[in-house]
Amino acid sequence: MAIITPSRFRIALVWAFLVGSALPVAAQSVGLPTPRLLTITPMGGRIGTTFDVVISGEYLDQVEGLLFSDARIQAQPKRNPAGTPIENHFQITIAPDCPVGLYEARVMTRLGVSSSRIFPVGTLAEVSPTKPNHALETAFPLPLNSVCNAAVAARMIDYYTFTAKKGQRLIVDCATRGIDSKLKATVIIADAAGRDILVERRGGVLDFTVPNDGNYVIKVHEATYKGGNAYYYRLGLWEQAAKTPIVRQPSVSPVNSFSWPPAGLPAQAALTEVEPNNGGDSVQKITLPCDIAGRFFPAADVDVYEFSAKKGEIWWIEAASERLDLPTDPAILVQRVIPGQNGKPATYADVLELSDIPSPVKVSSNGYAYDGPPYNAGSSDVLGKLEIKEDGIYRLQISDLFGGTRSVPDHVYRLVIRRAAPDFAVVGWALHMELRNGDRNALSKPIALRGGATKALEVVAIRRDGFNGPITLKMEGLPPGVTAQGLTIPAGQSRGLMLISAKTDAPRGYANVRFTGQAEIDGKTVTHPCRVASMSWPIPDAWGEFPSPRLIADVPVSVSGIEQAPLTVTAQKPVFEARVGEKLAIPLTIRRTSEFSGAAIKMKTVGAGFERNPVFDLPLKADSTTVTLDLNALKVAPGEYHVAFLGGGVVKYSHQPDMVAQAEKTSKKMLAEVKSLEAVVKQVSADVQAAPPMKKDETKKRLETVTKKMKAATTELTAAQKELEQAKAAAKPRDIADIMVCEPFTIRVLPVEKK
Amino acid sequence: MFTHRTRSPWRWTRLLGLLAVAGLLTVSPAQAAERPVSFTNDVVPIFTKVGCNLGSCHAKANGGRNGFELSLLGFEPREDYEHIILEARGRRVMFENPDKSLLLLKGSGQISHGGGTRIPLNSENYATIRDWIRQGARMDGPQLAHLVDLEVTPTHGTLARRATQQLQAIARYSDGTRRDVTKLALFESNDAAMAEVSSGGLVKILELPGRVAVMVRFQGRVAVFNAAVPLGAAVTTLPPARNFVDEAVFSNLKELGIPPAPVCDDATFLRRVTLDIAGRLPTLAETDAFLADTSSDKRDRWIDNLLQSPDYADFFANKWAAVLKNRRDTAGDLDSNFAFYAWIRDSLLANKPYDQFVRELLGATGTVEDNPPVAWYKRVKDPKTQIEDIAQLFLGVRMQCAQCHHHPFERWSQDDYYAFAAFFSQVGRKPSGKQNEDLIFHKRGLATATNIKTQAALTPAALGDPMAPITPGEDPRLKLADWMGSPKNPFFAKALVNRYWKHFFQRGLIEPEDDIRDSNPPSNPELLAALEKQFITSGFDLKALVRVITRSNAYQLSSVPNAENLGDHQNYSRYYPRRLQAEMLLDAIDHLAGTRTDFANLPPGTRAIALPDNSYNRSSTFLRVFGRPEAQSVCECERVQTSSLAQSLHLLNAGDLRAKLAHPTGRAAQLAKDTRPLDARVRELYRIAFAREPRPDELKTALAYLTEPLTTATGQKIPEPQALRENLQDLLWALMTTKEFLFNH
Repeated sequence: MAIITPSRFRIALVWAFLVGSALPVAAQSVGLPTPRLLTITPMGGRIGTTFDVVISGEYLDQVEGLLFSDARIQAQPKRNPAGTPIENHFQITIAPDCPVGLYEARVMTRLGVSSSRIFPVGTLAEVSPTKPNHALETAFPLPLNSVCNAAVAARMIDYYTFTAKKGQRLIVDCATRGIDSKLKATVIIADAAGRDILVERRGGVLDFTVPNDGNYVIKVHEATYKGGNAYYYRLGLWEQAAKTPIVRQPSVSPVNSFSWPPAGLPAQAALTEVEPNNGGDSVQKITLPCDIAGRFFPAADVDVYEFSAKKGEIWWIEAASERLDLPTDPAILVQRVIPGQNGKPATYADVLELSDIPSPVKVSSNGYAYDGPPYNAGSSDVLGKLEIKEDGIYRLQISDLFGGTRSVPDHVYRLVIRRAAPDFAVVGWALHMELRNGDRNALSKPIALRGGATKALEVVAIRRDGFNGPITLKMEGLPPGVTAQGLTIPAGQSRGLMLISAKTDAPRGYANVRFTGQAEIDGKTVTHPCRVASMSWPIPDAWGEFPSPRLIADVPVSVSGIEQAPLTVTAQKPVFEARVGEKLAIPLTIRRTSEFSGAAIKMKTVGAGFERNPVFDLPLKADSTTVTLDLNALKVAPGEYHVAFLGGGVVKYSHQPDMVAQAEKTSKKMLAEVKSLEAVVKQVSADVQAAPPMKKDETKKRLETVTKKMKAATTELTAAQKELEQAKAAAKPRDIADIMVCEPFTIRVLPVEKK
Repeated sequence: MFTHRTRSPWRWTRLLGLLAVAGLLTVSPAQAAERPVSFTNDVVPIFTKVGCNLGSCHAKANGGRNGFELSLLGFEPREDYEHIILEARGRRVMFENPDKSLLLLKGSGQISHGGGTRIPLNSENYATIRDWIRQGARMDGPQLAHLVDLEVTPTHGTLARRATQQLQAIARYSDGTRRDVTKLALFESNDAAMAEVSSGGLVKILELPGRVAVMVRFQGRVAVFNAAVPLGAAVTTLPPARNFVDEAVFSNLKELGIPPAPVCDDATFLRRVTLDIAGRLPTLAETDAFLADTSSDKRDRWIDNLLQSPDYADFFANKWAAVLKNRRDTAGDLDSNFAFYAWIRDSLLANKPYDQFVRELLGATGTVEDNPPVAWYKRVKDPKTQIEDIAQLFLGVRMQCAQCHHHPFERWSQDDYYAFAAFFSQVGRKPSGKQNEDLIFHKRGLATATNIKTQAALTPAALGDPMAPITPGEDPRLKLADWMGSPKNPFFAKALVNRYWKHFFQRGLIEPEDDIRDSNPPSNPELLAALEKQFITSGFDLKALVRVITRSNAYQLSSVPNAENLGDHQNYSRYYPRRLQAEMLLDAIDHLAGTRTDFANLPPGTRAIALPDNSYNRSSTFLRVFGRPEAQSVCECERVQTSSLAQSLHLLNAGDLRAKLAHPTGRAAQLAKDTRPLDARVRELYRIAFAREPRPDELKTALAYLTEPLTTATGQKIPEPQALRENLQDLLWALMTTKEFLFNH
């Protein structure tokens, strides 16, 4: 039996779109080029200052501006003395009224808006090492109350020194994952000789009380000594008054935090846990409903609450801890207290056990292949229903399944026991195809639309307290030429889609949009924002590193205005009507701007009521086709439906082919100039030979001048030729697999006509 | 060994039928008068004594030998009886003519028998089995008196070298009877170099002084004879006792009449203790400062300094990472291996109490990233391996045998094994986001494990200690950790102090260090008990333990033997030299040669002693040749400390060592450029290599060699600077290959 190594696996990429419909296609990469802003150096800034940054990323062609999610941060292109903007250099100004926190930074490029990079804003002085500091001898002196922006290099340790006084309380807080960095930091405080004193490797803070006056050392390295620009950090060092709480550098929110808190929950809980409450005789008595703040501390802590309840009562129990970005796994057990008879002790009967909140959709497994969304909307927190079957005293115990040996006072929880308050929370992310390889590159994608493109966001809902109704999805405030159609999350289900389409002639544009989910609950219209999640980094090999997803603060939508989608499929009219049980023909117009592999794409139907329509072939050589929907077979009830088709195709993508002609033109121009200068040089050389002695020097000088000119032109020609080669290489068609989505349309199903 | 069967009622019906036909269920009056031979108490012990039921013979797993199967060491007499009576078409016993029984014909070698003659014709054993057959080859009834205890007499004694002592084994039965079973018992010395014991229980003491034990086994019971063998020399001077370690060691030496070596000099101490605590040689500056220091407490202060250094954490993390199986099998193990290693190392650096360290490991939950000891559960997945590793590593108890049968040398039964396994029965696993890494959590439920033999569901019990009931919500592993960390635990502290004692003295007070059992007594029980007590009282403080050991004069004795104590290898009358471990030796060579070894993906300058896992062995012939373990085993014996031809050849002419000696910025090159007088340079070299000044003869030889002119193969004189550099390389190589350099002494 042949052994398939990961690399062979990658080459022989076989992918399938959504469930079923495997389409064996050989391709090199996944996802059409997307602009991605990957680093900003320095990584953040101080309130009320102006400073320069340099950016880097992928497909950052024709960058027009550096944009922030808050208008109080502004960027201007950095210019050279001649006034020409320097590529990828900007000057940033943070207004004095800009609050401390994290902001999204993006650039507008040829292909539209880039993916986001977190940009922290703080109050401490900002510093950066001025030269390599990879040894104790070259340690960078770090002032107290400053934050240092740097990146670790592979196989290197960064060294810093600071001076402190005995008894001073100092905090060393290294922001990494929380600001989108790939760095899993090891941070060490050592003595002046570099001998380790305190070590932190799990993202915690170092709280250091200085033992003696003198110099100390901070070392920073990656857990496995990886490094590079993506492994950046902001190392904060500040004085902290004794016995005051530490406020750490801000951190991005995990994906599953979208479902916390429930609407209307006060910022502070009404009750606080009071120890001892570990069970037995030590319980904390409460009355329902209640809202308690507690801690899983010390190790193996169990908190037991006792309450009375009557038969027939229904209570909803929700606990949050993991969703507060803590590495915990809360579990709840409710028991009924059976009083002991004749002096015997009471016994306890299990009534309910609650553990994880399952993801509403199947999450990708951790195998090499991608077999579902890599975003987990579920949580190890708790959400469930308690039905009281008989009057009595009940005990609820909460513990951390991961807390058996960990004594961390910061591992807190919030426990809410309430009467049913039906509600929902929604989160979305760019739809990705199921892949039988490890490429997670395309998971990091902004909503940057090519002309004629439709992009799909997968949206899932966490339903609360028995809410079961449909949830409609909306997007408002789109740029001109862009429309968005939500495919409703049907009643009782958890998954819907948001399809965003740009007209083929949509102008170049950008807007921060309002993305919401809406439902009727108890006769009222309830609207919640739909948070959007994204991956911080494109990951070409899922086994090499684990992609880190997070929630992003806003929802920007942009249109390239320059590049067109390789395929635009449009229903020939926006609304179709048919009666129940009829067959409905949907004529489609197919527009291509690229070549494709294969003759057809397997398309699947999306939109409630039509998902079971069989997969069909969308021809790639024709300009139109007709799809017939059998309303009888699909058993579609009367009503209005939003439907679209989507499938995976392999585009022969050519990147910026127009750049080739441009580069060719420049190259030819330079070649002509060089040739003409060669002729001049030849002529002047001859003149030098022929010149009379009195004019010799003058002619020689002329020769020097033209020779210099020719050399400069030759250098320019070489550069132009190199640019041409690069443009040609980029424009050379290569196979890229991506999702092709048809523009959504409406089907109105009418009742059968009464005869 | 792995015979898991249930008794078939059909077989018993058939057996009863057979016996009835033969008229053997009735007993004649003559037979009744004679003492009945018991299958369990008389016949089976013969099989054990003569070796029929060894794992290599008829107790071989899956069918025994040549179609005849017996239970291992006779632990299942009923099954043995069935095999004898029912199988081989009944030919194994011939009731009418017992001498024609296949059992006797084969056992006595009268017909071909692969195992040779085991029960000679006319022997007492032969007669017993023949009588048993003649009496009807009966199985014992439920009223049979069963063995309750085994005694050996004498239990202990002081024996001169070359003396002999006959032991007597007495079995005590449930009906109060006592019986001399010396002829049927098995005898084994725990140190073959000190004492031999015959099959009949005659102990013969050899030349070496010390303490030796003879284990006596009979039908699953064990008794021990302890002998003290004095050397008998006059112990006139003893170094002063600095702590209880010295008191116990010196009092033992006095009792045995073994005069100890004197306390070693400063240079030897500095080099020894730096290697033993920090896994490295002292630097030149450290050596110079230490030798120049005239204060009386400088040794104690140096020990404290070493214990505070991260080098201590690196060195001991290296030791623990191997036995905790921090092994890299695939590239995907990188993150978890680094995290696990770092957790061990940081725990040692912070001097986390040992009971807490073990608790965090045993009770680990969550992901490797958030809680690195979870990595142990990634590496050791099988719950049986988990308990076997835990028992051997942290309790010094080898439970493996008891999985399938009663432990032959120990009191552990299968029930003990599975009741111990029950602690790990509620370890829940969920897939994490990472390939091959599970989330570990406590799965709510009543912890039980099933004894595969009896099918009984057993609740957790710790090596015979009954536990309070563990509720479904409690993680039994934490209860196990509570039990381990209890000051009354008879195994936990003992196992650790013995392991650490061995680290510093090369030989455990109990050997092997992780095989602690009644039948393997310590060579100095008072010392072991005192160390155990100190460790518990200190709150399981590992640094305090190291401090107490290394501060003792016992640890600081010279390794040079005197006229009397050369033969002593277990009473610590001198320091026992040992070859540097692979990683230490590589670092020491780099230290001497002024070079460094680069390891993939680690910062330049990372020392071999600080390597996080075994993966670096693949690229380093040196580490492999000198025995760096692959973290496959929970036993420290996986590290090969023996010498080999490959090691000698490597030191003689391996390319990597030659490159180090000739390195353009290495020690030889530096010293060649040095402008100080040559003797200063040589003296420095000696201080770097040995932490001491050269003796006059050494200095003279070295200077003579360094100033020797060199010529090429064609007879041309090599310029002086180059000749000096080459001569320095030779000198370095000569120092590097001395025993003084290769050994800690």
